[in-house]
Amino acid sequence: MSRINIAFLVAFVGALVWIFLLSPNSLDRIQRGALSTFRPTIEASTELEEAIENFGDQKYTKTDLRKMLTDAELQRDKLQLEVLKLDELLEENNALRSALNYVKNAPLKLVPAQVIARKPSTWYNTLIIDKGALDKIETDSPVIVPVGDYAGLVGKVSEVRNDNTAVIILLTDEMCQVSARIEGTADQGIIAGQRGSLKIQPNLSLPLEFAPELKDAFQAQPDLLLKYLPKIAASTKDRNIISSGAGDLFPENLLLGKVIDFKLGAIDAEAIVKPAVDFSKLKNVFVVLPEKSKEELEKEGKQESSSDSEVPQVSNSSVETTQVSSRE
Amino acid sequence: MIYFTLISAFLVLVFFIQEFIPVLEWAYHSRMLLVHAAFFCAAVTVPYPLMLALAFFTGFVWEARYHLPIYSAEGYTGSPQPELPFGFTIFLFGLLGSFIQGVRPVFRRGRWELPVFMIGVCTLVGIVIEYLVISFHRGGFIWTAELWFMILMTSLFSMLAAPFILLLFSKLAKWTGYKIRMEGITKKYSFYGNTF
Repeated sequence: MSRINIAFLVAFVGALVWIFLLSPNSLDRIQRGALSTFRPTIEASTELEEAIENFGDQKYTKTDLRKMLTDAELQRDKLQLEVLKLDELLEENNALRSALNYVKNAPLKLVPAQVIARKPSTWYNTLIIDKGALDKIETDSPVIVPVGDYAGLVGKVSEVRNDNTAVIILLTDEMCQVSARIEGTADQGIIAGQRGSLKIQPNLSLPLEFAPELKDAFQAQPDLLLKYLPKIAASTKDRNIISSGAGDLFPENLLLGKVIDFKLGAIDAEAIVKPAVDFSKLKNVFVVLPEKSKEELEKEGKQESSSDSEVPQVSNSSVETTQVSSRE
Repeated sequence: MIYFTLISAFLVLVFFIQEFIPVLEWAYHSRMLLVHAAFFCAAVTVPYPLMLALAFFTGFVWEARYHLPIYSAEGYTGSPQPELPFGFTIFLFGLLGSFIQGVRPVFRRGRWELPVFMIGVCTLVGIVIEYLVISFHRGGFIWTAELWFMILMTSLFSMLAAPFILLLFSKLAKWTGYKIRMEGITKKYSFYGNTF
């Protein structure tokens, strides 16, 4: 190896060590800058992808569009009236809950967002959305979409990149774990994606009649696995899986999927779950904002700690006064 | 130097093109890693020091754009460390670029078969190493047919792009007067005689 090669190798290793030792703030700044640079391209690629997907679709005339707009406005008015009614019901419900000393329900604070990039990573099931810190989105905020009469869970915010960009980690990723239960039962477990099925199952219909033993090999792994269930739960196939609300990260009753099969283990059971949300067709999602932002919680925490620290002082002083008085 | 500047500019362009390359659902959600293919092609055409410079530059931009700080469960208990640290791609590019330099003499003789194959192999090895690191953090290895299909097809698609990129680099080299091939050896080793 020539001297110049060794010199460059040493410089390369040195630069690599420097990169590894960069502070999280520096890395954050680098990534924010890179995303800002690439953002127009990311948006253009998504638009192109959608244009290709919609190629050949029926084009609407002005009359059709006007009719659709009128219908949408009617639908919006109807929903607004329904929301008013629901607010009344919520107030009534909360009044009854407070009478019974239950925790009050609060309506979800939602931020609508558009998906600007799908699966940007090789190993993680992620999405990038066009909303970020500006809309008070925080890390770990749940992300939902309407699925029939339910709110279906998409995943959670993994990282808020900048004012108008956030990364969502999908429910199908192993690193997005949700406390869940089987609807209509008290059987609870933890649901998560599987590493072996990092991606959503492709819609293949392979002609493998000539080699049936290969079918299993081509069969993709199930997307979701609900673990740590009691064995007795194995008789509840075709039931919906919903979030249990335990852990306070995800609100309860969010639809996660449907049980398609069970695997019995030595001490517990696992349910194989088909996701409720079609992750390949996500365009618009809703981010659930926390009831109280992290800043508010920190403030409250500080106030509590300061009030806590005051209490012993008071008690000490009272002790001192009693001692003094006793001496007197 | 002009050639090196041009391929650096090409690598920047490839980052923007990569954004337009979709994930192929029918191929087990694999994708063509054009940036990887372009870097390995560049690595085979330049001397070792320049390869290291390209590895640093390409890896850095890749990390800046695609790195996700996903923490393993254990990471939360102590100081949080992402499963794949920022800069890991730079390390991979440096390591695999060094491997691919091994087939540079073959490439310089005008033979593209082995370098193109090695570009596919290096892409595969890079993806597998990343997966192994993630699995190590999560405390268990899971290998499924689906996963292998995804890894193999990603490598295959990247390998398919390699001849076209190498052709472009050859044109650039000719245009800038940069000598990729060793003409003297070409005649001696070429299967087709002095056709180069």
